[in-house]
Amino acid sequence: MIQVKQVNHTFLIGKKGKEKKVPVLKGLSFDVKQGEIVAIVGKSGSGKSTLLHTIAGFMSPEQGSITVNGQETANLNETERAAFRLNNFGFIFQNFQLMPGLTAFENVELPLKLKGISPKKRKASVGQMMDKVGLTEVGDHYPNELSGGQQQRVSIARALITNPPILFADEPTGSLDSETEQDILLLIQNLNKTLGVTFVMITHDEEVASIAHRTFKMRDGELVKEDVL
Amino acid sequence: MLFKDQVDFVRQHIKKNKLRVFMTVLAATMGCAFLIVLASIGFGIQDTMREEILQDQAITEVEVYPNENEELNLEEIKTVPYVGAIVQRTSMDIMTSFHLENRTIQGNLQLTDIKEEEQSNLKLSEGRLPQNESEIIVGYHFAQNLWTDAERAKVEEVGEEEDLPKGYEKSIIGKTVSLSLQPYDSEEAFPEQWDFKVVGVTDNPAKDWIVDQSILMDKSWLPELTGAYEANEEGIPEDFTYTTTKIYTSSLEHVKSVTKDLKDMGYNVYSVSEQLEQIDVFFMAFKIGLIFVGTIAILISSIGIFNTMTMAVTERTREIGVMKAIGASPKLIQRLFLMESAWIGIIGTVLAVVISYVVSYLANWLLPMVVGAALGEDGLEDLSITFSLIPWQLVVLASAISIGVAMISGWRPARKATKIDVIQALRQEL
Repeated sequence: MIQVKQVNHTFLIGKKGKEKKVPVLKGLSFDVKQGEIVAIVGKSGSGKSTLLHTIAGFMSPEQGSITVNGQETANLNETERAAFRLNNFGFIFQNFQLMPGLTAFENVELPLKLKGISPKKRKASVGQMMDKVGLTEVGDHYPNELSGGQQQRVSIARALITNPPILFADEPTGSLDSETEQDILLLIQNLNKTLGVTFVMITHDEEVASIAHRTFKMRDGELVKEDVL
Repeated sequence: MLFKDQVDFVRQHIKKNKLRVFMTVLAATMGCAFLIVLASIGFGIQDTMREEILQDQAITEVEVYPNENEELNLEEIKTVPYVGAIVQRTSMDIMTSFHLENRTIQGNLQLTDIKEEEQSNLKLSEGRLPQNESEIIVGYHFAQNLWTDAERAKVEEVGEEEDLPKGYEKSIIGKTVSLSLQPYDSEEAFPEQWDFKVVGVTDNPAKDWIVDQSILMDKSWLPELTGAYEANEEGIPEDFTYTTTKIYTSSLEHVKSVTKDLKDMGYNVYSVSEQLEQIDVFFMAFKIGLIFVGTIAILISSIGIFNTMTMAVTERTREIGVMKAIGASPKLIQRLFLMESAWIGIIGTVLAVVISYVVSYLANWLLPMVVGAALGEDGLEDLSITFSLIPWQLVVLASAISIGVAMISGWRPARKATKIDVIQALRQEL
C-alpha cells in the first residue's frame, strides 16, 4: 500500500546566508501493507513527524521515492496532491484541528463538501459516521462545546467520512487523559477491524504503539528497530 | 466543492466578522457612490445642454450658406444622399404690414416654397398648409400682436412692462388680411394692397422668449412684390432680398453625413450635429476627468478591502492549513477568498447605485430651488435643468470598476492564502 524507498531529507537551519544543513531523514525504507496499523515511535526531533508529512504529501523528500497505491506522490503538483489526499488519506491530529466556526456535524461534512457531494447524500453519510463514532447527540455543538475525547472523535469521523484507504494519525491521544485515550485507541482498533482502514500513527507513547501490528522506532532520522506484534 | 457550498462558506466567514466587513462594504459603497454621483453631474449638464440645443431648432435641419459672391447649386445639393426637403425662405428689405379690420401688425414676411415646407414637416398649431397662392400661414404670435392704433399708442406710452394688449382674440383661421409695403425711410406705404387668406398658424416656439409673428407666403409672389417696389421707388437696391437655405434630412442620424458632404462641396454649413459634436467632445473629456477622480475614491476604498482580506487570511491561516491538509486545492482556497472580496465589491456597488439614484433625484429636486433662492428668482425650478443624470452605461462602468478593483484588492491576499504552508499552519496555536 505504501512503499518508502531510500528517503533522505535535510532542513536548513539558521540565519540567511549562514544556514546549517541538518539531515532529518536518512535513507529510510519500509513498506506498509493494507489493513495494517503501523506505529512510528521515537523521541522528539527523531524525524517521525517529518516522515509523516513527507508520506502525506505536505512536503517532498529531497531524495528517494514514496509510492502510495502505486502512485509516486513526489511527481504530483500541488493541485494533484490535494486531490490525491482528498481521495486516499484521512488525518487525525494531536490537537484535533477542527474548524472553530463549524459544528461537529459540519466539521465531519467538510471533506464531502470538498468532494462536491450533494447535501442529501452528505447528510446521510455524516449521520451514519457520527453514529459510528458515538457523536449522534452532539452534532450541532461547536468544537469549544465538546470535550477533548469528543473533539478527537469528530476528528476521526472527519478523517473517515470519505472512506479513505489510509489514515494518518499524528499523536492521536497526545491531548487526551488516559481514560479517553483508551476509548480512542479502542475506536481506532475497531475501525481498523471493521473497515479495514490502514493506520499510520506517530507517537512517543508506548501504550498507543501497543495497538500497532508493526512498530518502527526512529532515532536521529533513521529507522533503528522494527517490532512486529 | 459545489458553488452553493462555496457561497455558504463565504457567508459563514462574513457573518463571523460582521463589523469589519460592514465597514469595508461602507468604504466600497462610498467610493462607488462618489464616482457615480460625480460623473452623473457631467452627464446631467451635457443632457441639459443637448436639450437646450435640440429645443432651439429642428434636429434634422442643416443650414447652408454659399461663399461670398457665389450661389447655392440646389441641383447639386439635391444629389447628396439623405437630403429631404430644401427650404429657401426669402425676406425683403422693406416694412411689410398686415391689416385685419382696424388692426395692424408689422410681420416678418417670408416667401417660400410651400411644397418644400410640407416636406420638411413644418408643424402647425392649427389650420392647414396653403393650397393656392392666395393662402398664407402666420406665426403663432401673429394674432395676439395684431393691435389697433390706440393699443399700439398705449404700449408705446407705458412701455412693455405693463400687460400687453391681447390683440385679435378670435380665431385668425379663415380671415383675410391685407398686405401693404412701406420702405423703412418712407413716411407712406405704397398704394398697392394684396389680400390673403390665413389658413394655418405655426407651432408654438419651444422657447418662451421667441415671438413668432412671421408670415409664410408662396414664393411666386416675389416678382409682383419687387415689381411694386420698382414702380414706386427708383430701382431695386442691392441686397433687397435675403435668402436663407435650410436642408432637412430624412432623420437625425443622417445630419452628420449630409453636413460633411455639403462641407466637401465647399459650402458653409451649420447643423445641430456640429454643435452636438463639439459639446459631446468637450463633455467626453469632462466625464473622463470626473470618472478618473471618482476612480481614485474607489482605489482608496480598495485599500480597506485589501486590509480586510489580508486580515482574514492571516486570521484563518490554521483553518486554511487544515483545509489544504484534508484535500482542498489551492485553486479552491483562492476562489473562496476572491468570492469574499467580490461579495464586498458587489454589495458595496449595489448599495452605491441605489444611494446614487437617491442623491441624483434629490439634487435635481433641491438644487433648482436652492439656486433659485440664492439668486432671488422664482420659477427657476420650472426650467428643465438636469444637474445629475445616471444613465445605465454609467452604472455598468462604475460597477465594473468597483467590483473589478475589489477583486484585484482581494487577489493578493487570496494568492497568499494558497501559498500557506500546511505544516506551519498546523503548528499554529489554537
